[in-house]
Amino acid sequence: MGNKLKHAADSELNRLLFGDDQAGHSETIAHVESCKTCRARLDALSGSAAFDTETRNMLAGFFDGRSAGDVQTKSPIEAAAVDCLSPPRHPEMLGRLGRYEIERVIGSGGMGVVFKAFDTELNRPVAIKMLAQHLSFSGAARQRFGREAKAAAAVVHEHVVAIHNVETEGDTPFLVMSYVAGESLQARVDRAGGLDTKEVLRIGIQVAAGLQAAHDQGVVHRDIKPGNILLEQGVERALVTDFGLAQTVDDASLTQTGIVTGTPHYMSPEQAIGKPTDPRSDLFSLGSVLYFMATGRPPFRADKAMGVLNRICHEPHTPVWQDHPEVPDELSDVIDRLLEKKANHRFRSARETQHTLQKSLANLQHPRRSQQIAKRFVRRHRRSLRVASTAAGICLLSVAAVFFWPTAQPAVEQPQPVNQLSAASEPKQFSIETWQQASPAESQRWANSIEQLQHGLQRVEPSSAFDSPATPGWDTQLEQLHQQINQFQSGASAH
Amino acid sequence: MNPPFDTRSSLILRLPDKRDVEAWDQFVAIYEPLVYRLARAKGFQDADAREIVQEVMVAVSQAVERWEPDSERGRFRDWLFCIARNFMINYLTRRKYRSFGGGGSSMDELLEQQPAPDTNESAEFDLEYRREIFRLAAEQVRDQVNADTWQAFWRTSVEDESVEAVAEQLGMTPGMVYTARSRVRARLRNEVQRFQQQD
Repeated sequence: MGNKLKHAADSELNRLLFGDDQAGHSETIAHVESCKTCRARLDALSGSAAFDTETRNMLAGFFDGRSAGDVQTKSPIEAAAVDCLSPPRHPEMLGRLGRYEIERVIGSGGMGVVFKAFDTELNRPVAIKMLAQHLSFSGAARQRFGREAKAAAAVVHEHVVAIHNVETEGDTPFLVMSYVAGESLQARVDRAGGLDTKEVLRIGIQVAAGLQAAHDQGVVHRDIKPGNILLEQGVERALVTDFGLAQTVDDASLTQTGIVTGTPHYMSPEQAIGKPTDPRSDLFSLGSVLYFMATGRPPFRADKAMGVLNRICHEPHTPVWQDHPEVPDELSDVIDRLLEKKANHRFRSARETQHTLQKSLANLQHPRRSQQIAKRFVRRHRRSLRVASTAAGICLLSVAAVFFWPTAQPAVEQPQPVNQLSAASEPKQFSIETWQQASPAESQRWANSIEQLQHGLQRVEPSSAFDSPATPGWDTQLEQLHQQINQFQSGASAH
Repeated sequence: MNPPFDTRSSLILRLPDKRDVEAWDQFVAIYEPLVYRLARAKGFQDADAREIVQEVMVAVSQAVERWEPDSERGRFRDWLFCIARNFMINYLTRRKYRSFGGGGSSMDELLEQQPAPDTNESAEFDLEYRREIFRLAAEQVRDQVNADTWQAFWRTSVEDESVEAVAEQLGMTPGMVYTARSRVRARLRNEVQRFQQQD
């Protein structure tokens, strides 16, 4: 760039911003175009990055900000991409790009079009991602595309889609990737619903491993979502793809505007508010993907993107086990940990996540940990257990009372209790009355029975977990019975 | 949207301070579309939503009757926006459980109540309120700048197109697009802040 002027003064930038029009500032404008520092200063003077994010969120879709004539649909992009191919050698093919015969369009996104193609030199199918033509004229987009390709090519791992070749010199920059026959995780879940736990863990382990490989290269994916996870046909292998938004960690360039990039449902809170991201941002997204696999829905849902972002930032998700009791606690807990709003509360790395998931899978495949299962059972069924155990206790006591009643009766020497209660109406009162009429020997047997009951119940559930003054746990209730018996015994001996 | 009722003239008599009348005008400008949108979001038909707007406006304007001018100036605006917010949150909460008959005492009740803190309704309301302020601010800024400047801002900032692509299509240099975007953004920020300071 020829413009080597010295930096613009603050006063000049302010005139540029708040003056009546842009006329008469052409020198400054040209300078701003070529000078990164002054662009950043202009940005800082006109609003913070957070303000940009909010503007976008608040105004998106509000009114039609652009004239209706120039709405771009996807097909022109595709058509333009096809236009820049050479004619095909084979009538079945779409066109040719160097040594690659292009077969068909697989998909198109914001940055470009993806083709399925055939590498005529190495005789193998490939996927070719071509930069959209309207972007290929722009230096920044080319740069971004090249950077994306370089970053992705540096990551070589069995769970990352491999980059074979990058062409940024010609008219149409493109990159060549392995072609993965199969479907995306999104398509799988859309078709088959939530996956079973083993499958969730298996895919989660593989994605975490692929992510770790990327993080080792300083690459944060930034767009982990079910659509970017491919499931290879037959071999059941998961591969992470589309580093379309991936950015080397030390590269701060295009994010400075604070514009939110990525799919809202799987974004991390730090991404949603436009803060800088690190590998732990991918871990949050992985948590959302695991949630999606286990339940068939992403954890944060709302009608509008803004609502989704708001939830991601401010609202807790519903733990998986609450609506899906069949999902083991271990998996549910891993997801909770990954979905921590604060990055330093999550796992420290993709590797740690991978190991934890592996342990869960091992536990699932060798279910010897009866303790954990019992724990889970208790947690899931707290309410019914409490009802059941209390009811069982009362039944046992009542049955025992009836059983002991005839033998207890003749032994009674004391006067009839003043408070005659209708025996059958209230089990607890019934049993108190019974003790009051029992001999010391009988009541000792009673006490023993209660102790046995206590031991038995202890095995079923640790009662303290839901002991409260309003609804005492069974052990509190039994303790009360104990005291009453003791009182009665001491009272009886005093007589 | 025209004001569905004419309280303004009686309010001018009630509120001798010009700033208070302006506060009311601004309140109507913000709340009419806001209440309408909230009502539509709750599933009300157009006609019903308009009726709810009217109901709310009447209720709040009646409440203004009870406002006693204080020695401290500028408080009417705070008071007005505060009761309106409380009212809307209570109103939305209540709508969920039973239909609202309208009319005197229950409206007064709703006006007097403090809103339950941290309900979904208050979060939803505050978000929609903020959105409304942005929309008003954006409309004002759009009227202040020329069409290309606005396009440059809208397409790069809101629709996330690249500066280069927009520059080419609008026949501007990237520097001009960049400057145009910053000019709109600075004005938008100022407008939003101006609205915000007033409640």
